[in-house]
Amino acid sequence: MYDSPVLNDRPHGSMFRYAARLASYLAGAALLAATILPMTARADDQDTIDYREHIMKTMGAEMVLINQIVQKKAPADGLATFTQGLAMTAATAKSAFATKMAGGEAKPDVWTHWADFSKRLDALAAATEDLANSSKGGDITAAASKVATLGCKGCHDVYRQKTK
Amino acid sequence: MRRFSILSYGFSALLFAALPVLAADQDVIDYREAVMKIFNEQTGALGQIASGVVPDDNLVTHMQVLAMTAQTALKAFEPKVPGGEAKPGIWSNWADFSKRMTEFAQQSAAGAKIAKEQGKDAALEQLVNIADDCKDCHDTYRQEKK
Repeated sequence: MYDSPVLNDRPHGSMFRYAARLASYLAGAALLAATILPMTARADDQDTIDYREHIMKTMGAEMVLINQIVQKKAPADGLATFTQGLAMTAATAKSAFATKMAGGEAKPDVWTHWADFSKRLDALAAATEDLANSSKGGDITAAASKVATLGCKGCHDVYRQKTK
Repeated sequence: MRRFSILSYGFSALLFAALPVLAADQDVIDYREAVMKIFNEQTGALGQIASGVVPDDNLVTHMQVLAMTAQTALKAFEPKVPGGEAKPGIWSNWADFSKRMTEFAQQSAAGAKIAKEQGKDAALEQLVNIADDCKDCHDTYRQEKK
């Protein structure tokens, strides 16, 4: 190292200043990385949260429509469509929560209790498919009894942050 | 005094009679807003897939749910009940509004078919046509969000 023509041309004092300058550059780069990298991660995190919220809000809107129909506040024409839409969307929910990303209304328990949470989503997918199948002919009475047993509230009580 | 009592009773009776109608109006508004909300959420998810920020595993499902729901949308606006974000122009220009909604239903049905048969790239091209339909109609018939 001390045979290097570059280093041997420098007096020892400037060697110290050189080292100090290098250290400051490295510290600055580390600080920049620490600032930028988390920002990039936050954008990805938010995308994950937004996507699963799209799915949950779709199901929420489908339930509004289905409940209006079973309560006879809306015509029954759309029952087959909305129950089918609910079932199809419910089938996508588990994959949307597969990425471990706390945030939005999802409690961290979703992932610390993944076995239970995913089992509930499987049950929801099965129950909504059953609802959709029984609603193809527009049977409101059958739909009403199945809607009451979907289990949305039970899961929300355990795994959803209270809406502010 | 007696005349005032008769008038006040009469007014109260009219008010009570109107309450179910007012509640029914809100049901109509809530119904169509739920339909539109499904569009909003599903196109939001599709936009994320188009941007590449989420996987495309559920592309076909999103396109199908959008298309199925689009078939119900025109009927949701048939009751002439102003309110929510719906401008009165919907009903005063019903021929135009219904034509736009019918086209939206057709474009989204085509999109679902394309997604299933031709895959992601073709589906996302069709999504642009669908998004244009949404925007054009909103520009004309939706109240600005406050």
